[in-house]
Amino acid sequence: MQNQYRLGIDAGGTFTDFILADRKGEVRIFKALSTPNRPTEAIRNGLKIIEEETGLSPDTIVSNADLCINGTTVGLNALITHTGAKTGLIATKGHEDSIEIRLGHKEDGYRYDPEYPPATMLVPRYLRRGVSERVLSNGTVHTPLDEDDVREACCHFLREGVESVAISFVWSVLHPDHELRAAQIVREMMPDARLTIGSQLYPQVREYTRTSTAIVNAYLAPILQRYVRAVDGYFQRLGARQPVRYFQSNGGLALGKVVADQSVYAINSGPASAPQAAMWLGEPWGMRDIITVDMGGTSFDITLTRDGRANVSKNIDFLRYRIGIPMIQVETLGAGGGSIGWIDGMGLLQMGPQSAGSEPGPACYGKGGEKPTTTDANLVLGYLNPEGLVGGRLPLDVEKARRAIRTHLADPLGISVEKAAHGMFTIVNNTMVNAIRRVSVERGYDPRDFVLNCAGGATGAHITALAREMGIRKVLVSKLASGLCAFGQILSDVKYNYMAPAPVRLEGAEAASRLDRLFTGLEARGREDLALDGFADGKISIRRSLDMRYVGQVHECTVDVDPFEITESALDRLKAAFHARHEELYTYSEPQSAVEVVNVESAITGAVDRPGRTTLARGKGAHSALRGTREMIFNAEGIPHETPVYDGALLGAGDRISGPAVIQEVTTTIVIEPGWLAELHESGVYVLTLGVQAGMAQRAELAAEEA
Amino acid sequence: MKKRNVDPITLSVVRGVLETAQREMTLTLEQTARSSVFNLAHDYSTALFNHTPEMILQGQDIPIHLGSLIPAMKSVARYFDGDIHEGDLILHNDPAYGGSHIIDTCMYMPVFYQGELVFWTVCKGHLTDIGGPVPAGYNPNAKEIFAEGLRIPPVKIWDRGKPRKDVMNLLLTNMRARRDQEGDFNALIGACQVGARALIRMMDKYGRQVVQDCIAELLDMAEAHMRKLIAGVPDGTYSGTAILEDAGHGFGDFEITATVTIAGDNCHIAVNSPPQVPYFINSYEGNSHSGVYLGLMMFAQLPPPYNEGLYRCVTTDMGPKGTLCNAQSPAPHMNCTTTPMETLTDAVRLAFEQAAPAKVSASWGHANGCNIAGWDTRHDEEYVTMVLASIISGAGATATQDGWHACGPECCFGALTSGDIEMLEHSYPIIIHRYSLMEDSGGAGRHRGGSGTCWEVEPLDSPMTLITFGEGRRIPAMGAAGARSEMVETKVGRLEVTRGGETRIITENVIETIRPGERAANKNPGGGGYGNPFERDIARVLQDVRDGLVSVEGARRDYGVVIADPASLTVDEAETARLRAA
Repeated sequence: MQNQYRLGIDAGGTFTDFILADRKGEVRIFKALSTPNRPTEAIRNGLKIIEEETGLSPDTIVSNADLCINGTTVGLNALITHTGAKTGLIATKGHEDSIEIRLGHKEDGYRYDPEYPPATMLVPRYLRRGVSERVLSNGTVHTPLDEDDVREACCHFLREGVESVAISFVWSVLHPDHELRAAQIVREMMPDARLTIGSQLYPQVREYTRTSTAIVNAYLAPILQRYVRAVDGYFQRLGARQPVRYFQSNGGLALGKVVADQSVYAINSGPASAPQAAMWLGEPWGMRDIITVDMGGTSFDITLTRDGRANVSKNIDFLRYRIGIPMIQVETLGAGGGSIGWIDGMGLLQMGPQSAGSEPGPACYGKGGEKPTTTDANLVLGYLNPEGLVGGRLPLDVEKARRAIRTHLADPLGISVEKAAHGMFTIVNNTMVNAIRRVSVERGYDPRDFVLNCAGGATGAHITALAREMGIRKVLVSKLASGLCAFGQILSDVKYNYMAPAPVRLEGAEAASRLDRLFTGLEARGREDLALDGFADGKISIRRSLDMRYVGQVHECTVDVDPFEITESALDRLKAAFHARHEELYTYSEPQSAVEVVNVESAITGAVDRPGRTTLARGKGAHSALRGTREMIFNAEGIPHETPVYDGALLGAGDRISGPAVIQEVTTTIVIEPGWLAELHESGVYVLTLGVQAGMAQRAELAAEEA
Repeated sequence: MKKRNVDPITLSVVRGVLETAQREMTLTLEQTARSSVFNLAHDYSTALFNHTPEMILQGQDIPIHLGSLIPAMKSVARYFDGDIHEGDLILHNDPAYGGSHIIDTCMYMPVFYQGELVFWTVCKGHLTDIGGPVPAGYNPNAKEIFAEGLRIPPVKIWDRGKPRKDVMNLLLTNMRARRDQEGDFNALIGACQVGARALIRMMDKYGRQVVQDCIAELLDMAEAHMRKLIAGVPDGTYSGTAILEDAGHGFGDFEITATVTIAGDNCHIAVNSPPQVPYFINSYEGNSHSGVYLGLMMFAQLPPPYNEGLYRCVTTDMGPKGTLCNAQSPAPHMNCTTTPMETLTDAVRLAFEQAAPAKVSASWGHANGCNIAGWDTRHDEEYVTMVLASIISGAGATATQDGWHACGPECCFGALTSGDIEMLEHSYPIIIHRYSLMEDSGGAGRHRGGSGTCWEVEPLDSPMTLITFGEGRRIPAMGAAGARSEMVETKVGRLEVTRGGETRIITENVIETIRPGERAANKNPGGGGYGNPFERDIARVLQDVRDGLVSVEGARRDYGVVIADPASLTVDEAETARLRAA
């Protein structure tokens, strides 16, 4: 890190988190209320709060910062509330409806539900115009582009006041000329409109995915453009040395002009930075296989890094819209502190996805909420401090929590309040465990091989229980856990994805040289873009992936490989990687069967220097931080046990606590179940280990040091 | 609920694990299968059975398979009674043993725990071919099941862990596109193994007895749930009759009648259908269960999970053996999962509509699709597949909203996906000229039925065999709650073949050869409307006109809305009021 500071600003639904790191490695978190309708206002307010608390003025920080990084939800909010730009689509005649046909599918889980509505069309049918043109699956032209059709579409769009246009033609990825010519015409006739070209934004085979991705992008581009202009301008006036970098859903940073053009990349940025933070936290121990869970008030986000790399998803439905571009896989679940416990039509206890949110909030907040929530259960179980959360600023009412649980759950089920509370805790955990399986088992990974990392304010109460359920024996909880995603953003690199279609069977020299040419071409473009952004060659790294399948299969699996020259003999290396991945995912492979590639991608990364690390002072032993005891419940029978409570602020490096115990940090509470040992590491991270007694671990460590 | 002393918390957890196991089976099938019918159409089912064998969890995948795995599993277990061992794997497709149609092949894996049979993991998928004279199995000319393809009674393909290569070779030798079929068998086996792994893990954790007690409880709870719904319907006998149109067999239209008798919390559904015919639309008893249960679901509208407990209070009588809905060998049957299943479902739905008028939605468009086959000169190999995009019809409107566009057919209820057109053109030598919604295809109603679709194809460079199946080319999807359509001709399906500038409309099931330069457009019907169309909000009619979903003529004829100026969409209010009052 070259300069005095690095500033990260991550806008969330309720709060915008500010992370200020300095070159000595000190990291501070500040929070300001988000202002979704005037997004730059929250930035101003937050910088004012920092000034009040630290005396550092906004221009001091910004002009002395090596980087200012922003994760924004403006795109996400526009997509959720359907308040994007008025958008038109120009498509191949006969294929205008693919985004409304949506492959003929209704989402699972609603099969017989008569009230589940169709997805809202971002481009209604009257703004979707077909033009005469057609390219075939071998890339040859079947019907040339009818330019008058394009002009007519533009006239229609002008009459209707369209602000943004998406162009997406069938097989344009193999022959982009028609799209490019249509784009010229649109630029001439609609100079004020924003333009998204399918084959440029997402050059991959699959018309529906490409068209849908282009539409989402076109729908958001004017919004992001206005936002980026405002933020870039504001930071320039504060004397920023570098343009602001925006955090993307692919886990990397990008320049504002990139985000304004490729807005779809900015859609789900928040939780996508968790893997970076996880890698940073695990680095002192060389941990590279980490699952991060982030539980807030209403949702639970899961991300996974394997061998230091985050899971990536492509071609997924996001908020009911198909999006192709690579995004960090974030499994989101409606399970948070506010999730409501209820009894379903069959008589089974369920948790969520309905949430009490922050208004009225859990029953124990005493703000009128009457339904029992996860937070109420945690309070009854004794895990949370009844004197209140956030350092006592939010007092909790145990009686209200008990009443809600008794009325809605315990009495109907004929069990005690304590047993019901533990049941709620167990079920919400189990729901989360099933979701964790989706990022691990369903991706071919055994969760027991991973470390569990805790993010978000509400997760600490569940973290050892989750680990126990998953068979995970090691857990990390950073003192920064409640703002971990914002922290992850300032640890991120600049990253762009370059893609190409490659429908080719893995046979023969021609296929090999075609793939090799494609990859080297993509990577040359990537190096050029990063060089223009000031990255030296040595700072640039490349990851390749190929979407492959056995000939005849309909779905591909994505195989990651290192860059190497693809010659005919190297094709076997690609095939071997595919067979291995297929077996990992689906229990079998077919080494004799022919393999084909559909799409390829290179992810190009420009490394950004990391900030320094602080070192905590050595502790004086955990006893000095003991605050007293509280009755807590750690068993299904609901029997309470007197359990020690520690003040995290008084603990130092090397201090150890064995469960059952609770550590109270200002913004989070860490419940350590029986059988777990917690040790505070000098980097400010609690390391929780299952199945070793404090004394034994110490002896083992001493023995290791002596050896 | 206390009788088994089941802990309510463990119960919820076990339920979650079962769903996860089923989900992982589904994912394995979907991601690895070759047959686009099964991995895009989701024309497969995964299910878990206990040792009795009672179905403890049905994947929610597709209504076609809602009921038919239940009798099939029981048949298979009975056949091998006393001879079921760890490491066995059983394959079956024959409707005489509870199968639906022979192109749906089922894989059954007994799951043993500490030496005892505890569970079965089962999956079933629609292959691309099952041998026989016509590629893809649908043979409108078949007079007997023997002319449709290979019947596979329950047969072990693994015997105590040893794969029986000779048996597999016998089966595969009788099928087209052997590579694809072999891949699909692998996918079915993989899915069964994935499910077994999850069940064993659960028993390791909670103990076999606890798991079995919880499952018994889940079955009881589902039973209680369905009984409660049935008890809410006034006692009585309700009946519904739907017309099965003659799609080329020459015997004329048939009536299928369902009679639903509600007595307290029990429900009996009796089916009356004409004698079986030498045409591929006969439904054996296993398949008819699916049709009846779908009609029941259109009333019950239950969210997942589904298990056999739901049907304990439901008894069925499919009519005498040898009838259309209770066929017996040698009746040809390949079309049965759509035709007559959808008409049977309609009959049951209509009966329930009388029993619970506010609840039951309109009918969905029936399947009216095609299979294609030919030679792929690009790779010098044969191709054969059902075209999912050719059966995407409109959904029926409900009491609260318009029907979904492009979501059918009724027998799939939105479960299938039609596949990306570029991937289809990559896999098969075809050009898809059109895949779109169709004006005036949704049934008129206060809530409009969803739009049907048109799928238009041309072979790339060599002749293509196109085989059609289904019906719904003369009779549109039935509305509910007083819906009616005047413009019927746009609301039904059909095949349009264009040769030398001349278009021929085909409403029967045929085998056609389409050459490069010629086009076949397969049109699928829209869904039925709900409620009186003259009560539809005028603004919503205008919105549909602007979106090209309803024509100016359709607005007048179907909705009584007269548009004075199509450009500005101004309404002739006097004339509209007059039409709507009439």
